[in-house]
Amino acid sequence: MPFVVKVAWRYLLSSRLQTALLLSGVAIGVIAVVFITALLGGLKIYLIRQTTENIPHVTLEQPDQLATFLPGDPAARQIYVRLKTKDRREQILQWRSAMAIVGRTGGIAAAAPLIFGSGFVLRGQALAPVSVQGVEPEKLDAISPISPKIVAGSAMVDLQALLIGVTLADDLGLRVGQPVVLRSDRGRERTLVVRGIYRTGLGNLDERTAYVHIKTARTLFDLPQGVSEIDIKLADLNAADEYAARLGAATGLKATSWISRNKQIFLALDNQARTGTMIKFFAMLTIMIGVASALLLTTFRRRAEIGIMRAMGLSRRFIVGVFLLQGVFIGLGGALLGAASGFALASLLGLNAIQNGGTGLPIDAAEGSYIEGILVTTLCGLLAALLPARAAARIDPMDAINQ
Amino acid sequence: MIIASPLVRIRDLVKTFGEGETATRVLKGVDLDLQAAEFVALLGPSGSGKSTLMSIIGTLMRPTSGELSMLGRSLIGMAEDELTEFRNSYLGFVFQAHHLLPDFTAEENVCFPAAGRAGFERAADRARAASLLERVGLADRRAYRATQLSGGQKQRVALARALMNKPQLVLADEPTGNLDRESSDQVLHLLREMNKELRTTFLITTHDEGVAAFCDRRIHILDGKVAETAGAAP
Repeated sequence: MPFVVKVAWRYLLSSRLQTALLLSGVAIGVIAVVFITALLGGLKIYLIRQTTENIPHVTLEQPDQLATFLPGDPAARQIYVRLKTKDRREQILQWRSAMAIVGRTGGIAAAAPLIFGSGFVLRGQALAPVSVQGVEPEKLDAISPISPKIVAGSAMVDLQALLIGVTLADDLGLRVGQPVVLRSDRGRERTLVVRGIYRTGLGNLDERTAYVHIKTARTLFDLPQGVSEIDIKLADLNAADEYAARLGAATGLKATSWISRNKQIFLALDNQARTGTMIKFFAMLTIMIGVASALLLTTFRRRAEIGIMRAMGLSRRFIVGVFLLQGVFIGLGGALLGAASGFALASLLGLNAIQNGGTGLPIDAAEGSYIEGILVTTLCGLLAALLPARAAARIDPMDAINQ
Repeated sequence: MIIASPLVRIRDLVKTFGEGETATRVLKGVDLDLQAAEFVALLGPSGSGKSTLMSIIGTLMRPTSGELSMLGRSLIGMAEDELTEFRNSYLGFVFQAHHLLPDFTAEENVCFPAAGRAGFERAADRARAASLLERVGLADRRAYRATQLSGGQKQRVALARALMNKPQLVLADEPTGNLDRESSDQVLHLLREMNKELRTTFLITTHDEGVAAFCDRRIHILDGKVAETAGAAP
């Protein structure tokens, strides 16, 4: 063992109480870092899962149809006016070929054609606006898992079926088996039967969404052939942008990823990450100040010994090394202790949250910054020891010996 | 006739502390030679400048002016790192308050100068440390911490440590000042034996005429100057 390491180690061991307090202080700082990173990481996963659970990862739509400019007399001054109209409903006519392309693409978990539009559910004098989703019965759960969330009736989607959320059912006093009228924004009406009532916990789905058979939707929204969009779930939701670009190019349709539609979530997550960084910074600063002040006290307490070492012809570099190594040992030891304790705490709290039905903090122990925490804390220990090491190296041997 | 050059040569050495009106001249032109294998006492009342002279010879303090050379090398213009290395190689110190490192064993304390230079505790150094401890009568105290030793034992460990790197000159500052008569005699005899065995020069500061009488030569410092030299160099 290098002699400088032996001396530094012996100094730490000889002041057991101080060393234990220092290690505890560093460990608590690292626990805070691990805890905050596990919490922010868990929160990110939770938010993304909550956001993407009921929405498509990639949506294929008909591109905007714009009128083409016809070139006029190049010498004349020309004014173009481009009008957009909503009279014609946007639809994908070649949706079957697009579905075939999607089906041949690897990494697709599910894909479903969809017809959607606005409408009203009427019961007697009562009326409620809804977003109508026309789905193929076997693909009801492809994008949003409705079947597992049925609380009354069944998830059977036949031509007369209407599936509604529990809030909408309460608002209109509807029960399974009751007939209701569904009127589309095209003025078409169909009498349907409430086959199932679901509870997703999401206000938009439970209060304003109604599921019907895709063929029923065709008649309600005047779309005899096309579909409104193709919704896709991916095996890797983080690759949505890449898949959107690829599928858009392959199908000629407008492809949008969930990431580009939910930029505000990432903005919020970025802000959280920045907050986490600030907390980590202050935790490290506290560690550095604590270690530096304790080691500075050590240099004063060991002034005579340092003076003797200098008198024996030990170099300033050796003295600096003794104190820097003490900082490294404290940083590394405290970091290892803190990382292990932080992992245990995060695991316990994460487990507790799961056992309480997800009502606790969304901590994910695997998201904790363990390696980063250990490396940065060790570096902080080293940096914290710079000032005491410098002070120790500058001690005048004669002053120290004669004190 | 061949005249051997002295181990230490000091000429017109001046040391002033402070500046301007508050300046205090502690050494006022000291001339002194120390020969190889000499056993010399440095005497003088408190404030006479003997501790300052010891510190300057020990390269722990720089003089204001004058000449100081050892083994033919001038120490005046030497860089700090060079002086540190020089101290480690050619000088040994024994202090009145022993100044052992309390967290290390007797053997580790003795090994310190060699291990600090080599970067490791080599087996050969440990063996030499053990042999020195045996020589000073502390073979059975090798593994004892400094705090577990008596005053006389501590001073004997300090002597072994001072001799670890086979120095040319050992500077002993009141080495028996804190010891009882019996321990004092033991240490003094040990210093003398080492001087004869190893032919190491010893410069011992003391107030004790009994200690001084034990030395080959006695140098009296008075008011910053060498006032009197008694005895002769070997």
